[in-house]
Amino acid sequence: MIMTIVQILLRLALWLTLAPLLPGIINKVKAWVAGRRGPPVLQLYYDLARLWQKGVVLSTLVSPGFVAGPAVVWIALLCATQLLPLGPVGATLSFRGDVLLLIYLLALARFCTAWAAMETGSAFEGMGSAREVSYAVLSEAALITAILTLSVHTGSITLVTMLEPSAGAGAVLLGAGLFTVLLAENCRVPFDDPNTHLELTMIHEAMILDHSGPPLAAILHGASMKLLLFALLLTEAVLPVGELPPLGASAALAGGVLAVTVGVGLVESFLARLAFKRVPMLLTTGFLLCLFALLVAWKGGAS
Amino acid sequence: MTQGLLFFAMLSVVLSIVVGPKFPRAWLVLTLAGSAGSCAVALKVLFGASDWEWRSTFAVGGELLHLRLDGLNALFLVLLSVIGGAGAVYATEYWSDKRYPDSAPRGRAWWSGLLLCMGAVLIVSNGLHFLIAWELFTVCAYFLITLDNQRQEVRKAGWLYLAASHAGTVCLFAFFSILATHNKGSWDLGPMRDQAELAPLFWLALLGFGVKSGVFPLHIWLPSAHANAPSHVSAILSGVAIKMGVYGIIRFSGWLPLPSAAGPVVIGLGVVSALLGIAFALAQNDMKRLLAYCSVENIGVIFIGLGAALLAASQGNALWGRLVLAGALLHVWNHGLFKSLLFFGAGSVLHATGTREMSRLGGLWKRMPWTAGLFAFGAVAISGLPPLNGFVSEWLVYLGLFDAVNARGAAAWVAMPAVLGLAVTGALALASFVKLCSIVFLGASRTKAAEHAHECGGAMCGPMLVLAVICGAIGFAPLVFWPLVARAVVAWNPAWVPPGEPPAPLSLLGPVQAMFALLLIGTAVWLWRRLRQNKVERHLTWDCGYFEPTARMQYTGASFAGIASSWFFWILRPERKLRRPRGSFPENASQIEYTPETVLDHVIAPVGDVVLRLSTAVRRLQHGHLQSYILYLLVGLATMAVLVFMGGLQ
Repeated sequence: MIMTIVQILLRLALWLTLAPLLPGIINKVKAWVAGRRGPPVLQLYYDLARLWQKGVVLSTLVSPGFVAGPAVVWIALLCATQLLPLGPVGATLSFRGDVLLLIYLLALARFCTAWAAMETGSAFEGMGSAREVSYAVLSEAALITAILTLSVHTGSITLVTMLEPSAGAGAVLLGAGLFTVLLAENCRVPFDDPNTHLELTMIHEAMILDHSGPPLAAILHGASMKLLLFALLLTEAVLPVGELPPLGASAALAGGVLAVTVGVGLVESFLARLAFKRVPMLLTTGFLLCLFALLVAWKGGAS
Repeated sequence: MTQGLLFFAMLSVVLSIVVGPKFPRAWLVLTLAGSAGSCAVALKVLFGASDWEWRSTFAVGGELLHLRLDGLNALFLVLLSVIGGAGAVYATEYWSDKRYPDSAPRGRAWWSGLLLCMGAVLIVSNGLHFLIAWELFTVCAYFLITLDNQRQEVRKAGWLYLAASHAGTVCLFAFFSILATHNKGSWDLGPMRDQAELAPLFWLALLGFGVKSGVFPLHIWLPSAHANAPSHVSAILSGVAIKMGVYGIIRFSGWLPLPSAAGPVVIGLGVVSALLGIAFALAQNDMKRLLAYCSVENIGVIFIGLGAALLAASQGNALWGRLVLAGALLHVWNHGLFKSLLFFGAGSVLHATGTREMSRLGGLWKRMPWTAGLFAFGAVAISGLPPLNGFVSEWLVYLGLFDAVNARGAAAWVAMPAVLGLAVTGALALASFVKLCSIVFLGASRTKAAEHAHECGGAMCGPMLVLAVICGAIGFAPLVFWPLVARAVVAWNPAWVPPGEPPAPLSLLGPVQAMFALLLIGTAVWLWRRLRQNKVERHLTWDCGYFEPTARMQYTGASFAGIASSWFFWILRPERKLRRPRGSFPENASQIEYTPETVLDHVIAPVGDVVLRLSTAVRRLQHGHLQSYILYLLVGLATMAVLVFMGGLQ
């Protein structure tokens, strides 16, 4: 009993402390490619600590939902991470159909982000949330197809079993599709530019324009957890993590997540943000990649 | 006991029809007593093991009365009682004698009538009586929709509803008559699975009940009727009346043999209905029309589950068939609950501001915190998000569909698109409800009417609160409700007796959802306290440094939905009227966007035109000239004589 509690706490601590590392690595990669020194890798930790101490400016228009929103987003993402197995350590909670709970927890987070954005009555934040909820339709289609692929491949709908073996022959297709979803869901280039200064072209950043202090810290930390969640999902789907010895699996996981993060950084360095008209097309491509992976998985199982 | 309670319930509802117009209080008490009575009976049957059946020697229309209450119709009866009672309380304030002295009295009588007839549809077990109750229920609903008959669009909506319903009823007449002929003149209903030649009748039932259930493309009457009816009526129409169509399909697909294509066709209808329903909903700018189209979507979700169950039944696969059917049945309840909650909320907004047009509202949370909070609760539930009840039923359907995929039979090819359709529908529903809630309740008030809104009283908030509590209960403790649904599943297909326990993940999902809800509240409180510790300042919305924002600069509903609904323009065909600003000192410019009912305007209306033109042509024969009429007579007689003569020759 005590062991389980300790395990749960350890897993929570791992997620909470490691997640903010990812944006730091991405920024470092980008700086390195551009030949700059760049901010320290731990920059987000400093930012979070500072924001937690800061006061808050609230718009005169907002309801208590404006503060409750980020709280719900953060806890929904945290709970979603607890469903995803951490390689050999396993997941905090695992049951049949938990993968659907994970997807819908992400949806709940989206609902609350968009809700909190609309609280302010700002047109920019309206634009941001309109884009977020619309593009999510396509990325959700891609994500559920990826889940179907994994489910067909393993004959299970429990995340722990689904992510054990590699995705087989379609692993490359699935990896590419999931990577597209990762970029879109985490608002990275080419879907969105986290560093842009033009509110008109933002998605995620536009939604959090009016947040400050601790709620902003919750949002930033939540976003980093979401990035880690997708990177981990991608790694575990592609690599046969469950079939390696514990040490090897941990190394593979860490290596995989690092590779994905560096990949995001490289994509951001070498690609420009797409025009909004093109975003649905790229997302549809991601969906098609997952769909082909599904067909491959189907064929693979039949033979 | 069951019998006594049921007759007590019936008696009080009948009495409430009589006293309704004159004595509002007595009406309320009687209606509530009737609802409570029927709810108790239905729950007794659901929790008990045995069905209730009653054959009387009393004949109506030449047929002996035969009532039956089993797991399936009891489930629907519970929903009817809950929404019927809640709506009655809501109506006392919303459609009060003071505000509507003309229509409120008759509204009460029709309301009780509607409850009685829907209850009768559910419990009678005789084809003729079913038809009579069905017809009366349609008529009661018509008079409720047209309560406010001073307005032209209300009359039009009522007329369309009546016409469409009767088109469906024609199919049902054919359905029951063929059934009666086949049973050698007996109208009595019951399981007839062994008579394989009855299978094609399923299509007639699907068509007839499909019109009532509002599944795409038979939904043409639904948006205007639900939008223009008084809100408590919209609530019961959307929450319960369209479920009568679903009930019909489930009931007769359980009793009759099924054609082999039934499952895929129903799933296909469900996917189309879910996707297009929510696409239309997203594009609407009228609150209640949006909610109405969302009903089309939810009926689609129910059809997906039901179709998968039909597929499983035809393949004899109890394992996942049980899950999808349970999901569909639970979604019937869930949708009834949260859709009524949302329509009540929309009614409160309408009551407070006098408009359903979203672009005239905004910032209502300040004036109507209760309505706003409960509406948001309903929106989360209907978007199928955890930890509320919408997620539980959709999750059951998903589980079943995934199992169907992994069974790797022919069903997988239908189940995979269905899973995809469900996911996309969920994402679009989320977009629609973020739009609806945020444009109406958040931001700044766009008009004076919205600024001077007022919170509704206890009689309107109370029913909403009750429905929200039930939604939460199903979400946090689905295990409590599982036996009821499992009972209905067995009533549908006796071969699908569950293995005693609920499916393992459900017993885990409930506590997880409840824990999650507690965590949500805890985190929010914690963050709020942290804020107070630090320091909170209030300023204008930042808006990129813009200094004096006005309410009209906010994002509108149409622009919010613009991206996603543009993917569906091929079917939405929105109409735009743009008046551009002209001259150096433009005075006014405007853009009006309206998404019409495409199927009605582009499919039904042209056909109607042709019929009308034909009838006009035929009408020329009737002109009032006596000479010509005599000529018709002569020609007719001569033709008959020729016919008789020729017959004689042979």
